[in-house]
Amino acid sequence: MKEKAHVKNSDLKNFIYLFFILFVIWLVLTTSFHWQEIIVGIFISFILALYLHKNYLELGLPKITVKKIIYFIMYIIVLFIEVVKANFDVAYRVLHPKLPIKPGIVIIKTKLKQDIAKTILANSITLTPGTFTLDIEEDELLIHWIYVRSEEEIEATKIIGEKFEKYLRVVFA
Amino acid sequence: MKKIISLILLFIICLGIVFCLQDIPFGAAKTKVGHYYIDNGREETGATNIVTSVVLNYRGFDTLGEVTILFLAAIGLGAVLATLKKKGKRQIEPASLILKTGCRFLFPLILLFGAYIFIHGHLTPGGGFQGGAIIASAFLLVYLGCRERKINEVANKITESIAGLVFIVMGLIGLTVGGHYFLSNFMPKGEINTLFSSGIIPIIYIAIGFKVGSELTGIIDNLMEKS
Repeated sequence: MKEKAHVKNSDLKNFIYLFFILFVIWLVLTTSFHWQEIIVGIFISFILALYLHKNYLELGLPKITVKKIIYFIMYIIVLFIEVVKANFDVAYRVLHPKLPIKPGIVIIKTKLKQDIAKTILANSITLTPGTFTLDIEEDELLIHWIYVRSEEEIEATKIIGEKFEKYLRVVFA
Repeated sequence: MKKIISLILLFIICLGIVFCLQDIPFGAAKTKVGHYYIDNGREETGATNIVTSVVLNYRGFDTLGEVTILFLAAIGLGAVLATLKKKGKRQIEPASLILKTGCRFLFPLILLFGAYIFIHGHLTPGGGFQGGAIIASAFLLVYLGCRERKINEVANKITESIAGLVFIVMGLIGLTVGGHYFLSNFMPKGEINTLFSSGIIPIIYIAIGFKVGSELTGIIDNLMEKS
């Protein structure tokens, strides 16, 4: 409750945050620092941010610091490696003549608080082949697993969620 | 027996196609107009994207027709759905946290991407139609993710009308001031390959982007709300 009241007071903060994100994405898209591109980018980011900035930070977007950016990049690298590894694992299970699958639904816990952090975690779990996030309920993620290694909540959390979560916890601290 | 008959039939069909296609030279241009666009399009229109120079300059009038067809389709759909009886109030089941958060986070970013596509229509692949479709997809995401929200139908209609008017007025100005045909490029073409170049093409594409975006959003709105 306290956090919400705090967010409501900072419309300007919302605006600046959204404007910054939009402008950075514009620069990435255009990949050019020509003055015309920059003017149009500022204009569009300004208009969009003006209309849509309301409650944007309520999603739980973190303050941008160098440390968090580094951790986020590390998270993306880890995600990439995990996706490749899981691809091979699932390919092995599919191609194996005995089809060694043991599908089932497990619950894992997350310590992440913010909505956006939980969404990123859920999406990274879905993105790795073999695991699929069905739903989020408070701090529990419902996950369909192609080969259930452990039905224990703590153990499953360690295997599925922990590798992503330790980076996201720093980013969204 | 059946297999043999079907094989013979297949052979006959193949033979027919081969004989038909033999007379057509492979790979050679059948018309000269295509080469003309490729050779002169850049200089004449100032647009780096040749497709855009054809769509909005050489064949600008056709594009107006295409936009009108989309407009008519949207109106027709609205008319058909308006006759359906409403089944009481729509049951709103809240979306899951993932969808809702994703929708709230991505909505401005998708709009930005759509705007990027239609503003750079004369420089990069894409243009008004594609950008408009991307913008409409952002609104579709709102309907899926934040189900309690509704778009402002009046604002949607006004946007669409203004965008259509801009298109036609620019064309008519071109007809009277610039030259002897609809949508002739009367504005300075600027330096090629920069954002502010090729005269009226970016302006028309922005108008088309808004028009297509609002039309498709209207279609989505009609389908979601009235059915």
